[in-house]
Amino acid sequence: MPVIDSEQREAMRESFERLLAHRCDEAELRRIIAMQDGHDAALWRDMARIGLLTALVPEEHGGIGGGAQEIEILMEEAGKVLLPGPFLSSAVLATVALTESGDAAAKARLLPALADGSLIGTVAIAGEQGLWDGHDGDVAAAGGGENATLSGVAGYVSDGAVAGLLLVVAGRGADRRLFEVTDRAGLTVTPLEGFDITQRLTRIAFADVKAREIAGGDAAAIDRMIDIARIALAGRQAGAARRNFDITVDYLRTRIQFGRPIGGFQAIKHMAADLLIERESAISGARAAAEAHAGGKGNAAEIVAMASFAVGEAQVKIAFDALQMHGGIGFTWEHPCHLYLRRAWHDSKFLGSHDLARDHFLSILEKQA
Amino acid sequence: MTDEQLIADVRAWIAANPAPAAADAGHSDFLRSPPDIIDWREKVHAAGYAVPSWPVRFGGLGLTPRQSLLVEQEFKKAGLPGSGVDRTSIPANILMQFGTDEARAKLLDRFVTGASSFCLLYSEPGAGSDLASVRTRADRDGDHYVVNGQKVWTSSAMDAEYGLLLCRTDWDVPKHAGLSFLLCPMKQEGIEIRPIHQITGERHFNEVFIDDAKVPAENLLAQEGAGWKVMQAALGYERLIMGEGATDRHDGGDAGLALIALAKANGKIDDPVIRRDIAQLIAWRRLNDLNAARAKTAGDGQGAALMSLGKLAMSRVLHGDARVRRDILGARSLLDGPAFPDARELNYHALFSYINSIGGGTDQIQRNIIGERILGLPREVETDRAIPFRQSMAVAGSAG
Repeated sequence: MPVIDSEQREAMRESFERLLAHRCDEAELRRIIAMQDGHDAALWRDMARIGLLTALVPEEHGGIGGGAQEIEILMEEAGKVLLPGPFLSSAVLATVALTESGDAAAKARLLPALADGSLIGTVAIAGEQGLWDGHDGDVAAAGGGENATLSGVAGYVSDGAVAGLLLVVAGRGADRRLFEVTDRAGLTVTPLEGFDITQRLTRIAFADVKAREIAGGDAAAIDRMIDIARIALAGRQAGAARRNFDITVDYLRTRIQFGRPIGGFQAIKHMAADLLIERESAISGARAAAEAHAGGKGNAAEIVAMASFAVGEAQVKIAFDALQMHGGIGFTWEHPCHLYLRRAWHDSKFLGSHDLARDHFLSILEKQA
Repeated sequence: MTDEQLIADVRAWIAANPAPAAADAGHSDFLRSPPDIIDWREKVHAAGYAVPSWPVRFGGLGLTPRQSLLVEQEFKKAGLPGSGVDRTSIPANILMQFGTDEARAKLLDRFVTGASSFCLLYSEPGAGSDLASVRTRADRDGDHYVVNGQKVWTSSAMDAEYGLLLCRTDWDVPKHAGLSFLLCPMKQEGIEIRPIHQITGERHFNEVFIDDAKVPAENLLAQEGAGWKVMQAALGYERLIMGEGATDRHDGGDAGLALIALAKANGKIDDPVIRRDIAQLIAWRRLNDLNAARAKTAGDGQGAALMSLGKLAMSRVLHGDARVRRDILGARSLLDGPAFPDARELNYHALFSYINSIGGGTDQIQRNIIGERILGLPREVETDRAIPFRQSMAVAGSAG
């Protein structure tokens, strides 16, 4: 297995940061999210050109063969600028769904296209209750192999409207299997109005939709995909939390009331000090989860479970207080504070709620106590 | 010298010198080391490995701080004490940095090897958070200073050979400018020590009454009036020690698991509110450990910043831990004493947690420091900062 050293990882992060600095600054972000599908095809092509979509794709399929640490650090950059579009859906969810399966043919056919950006993918995982752990799956598969059909409804599918490749988790619990939609007949993709206006969610109904079973796409493989996706999400949360905090502290240094910067008032200064703990904890939590996963550590499941709520809690706290500390300007549509708040709330429920993650974390620890 | 050569030298030295039998209390501990540990530490010091980053004339090897850390790590790996004193000993470092030649000749080696013990004479009844307003006075009289005043919250005062004393030598300049820093001999007539009865029932801290105590003039660090500068350096070493303590303990998991065990034993482990609280507390502990670990390796100058967050972060953990324990025990938390050990432990920890949120600078002062020194927010308004101390005392007097 190829090893990416920290220098290469840093180079990749830097090139992403540079790209986003001018292609997804606030003005660009607002332009992109005003579009129907919230997706900038030109930016996507540029991301593909510098190899950002290949982070989790093995070398033999045109990728760099990276793992959790590579995608985590890239997601931090995406989070900082609230990158819209299908980065998580395609470069993480769909890509990892395939790499964690045992389907050599599907990998050879689909991964190169996901890696070069010519194909956008997503995975329908949750049902209408919005559970990502296989407890509410409403899509049922009939048959298998090349000739399966899917029926039912999937909820909260990210970027379903722009995805050319739709992978679907059918069944529940240990019986979950992964399918690739092969014919759009009978498929109804309904865009949903989302609270986080930088993200696009869809509801997808299946009426005897033709599909191909992904070999080795069993419940264990699906859970491995969700683990990596949660690490990636934690990275995105940490990046957003960090930037949101930094923007706020800049404001505290420059906003003058009563003849001095408002950051000089203890009521504000002390909030900022407390939030610095959250900023650092978000970064540490996301990176620790990535490191444990990449290193195959025995406690990886525990750390990923912890990151799946603790990083988001930190992000939500920062987003909530940041808006309060901005005062009136924070209540305006034109200020980015509400965009970070919307993203924080979105990310705190997407891929599973904090409550479930906390309970899962404690269940793992209970076995040690 | 290359890193490889240095590490090889240290390993060879360790292999050639038989380790001491007794366990060490730790070089950052205020207490005097046991005799055979002192013997060992003297050998380490003679080899230059106690303070490798110091100049050769003070017993160091003139290494960079980075290489010095390599030496320390070799000793740590071998489970041996005596190295790393150049990072973590408060008295040794400030004496080396600010001491007179006479005081260095007399005391430096003793502080490096732990042969001498010390205590910190900083806080006063009227100078807690506002440490620069101390009123303990030192007056020069020939070859010594005469000291009068009162100090408080002094650990290990009974055992200490020297007290690191912050005092005032000039009353006609603003408060920070009139301070001096002395190494005060503790075993003398003019020093009276009274233990403080704490809310936990213990008597760990002391009050120190200083009545015409004598300090040799050569025990002045830096110059008269430069006491605040020395104080900042001393606090820097103290924070480093506290920060490292937090990182090295790695007790996050275990303390968290104890909460789970307590909830199980009391039939509360399936209570969703208790589960939620425990999970959050364990996460906070672990994130704090992770932050400290990142602080150690951060090469971009963020290290010290992250370190100072740790103490503040522990406050919510410790007070939160006590709250959850109380929720788990329910009515039994009304009880106390040896007949009710779980309640006693809870109540003790609940009270002891204030050591973290008050001692070494309250959480509120900590937030000021973080806001001002890390985040660059404006300083607090201090009405007495620019006026002669004698004048601000008069204002305080009339207000009182």
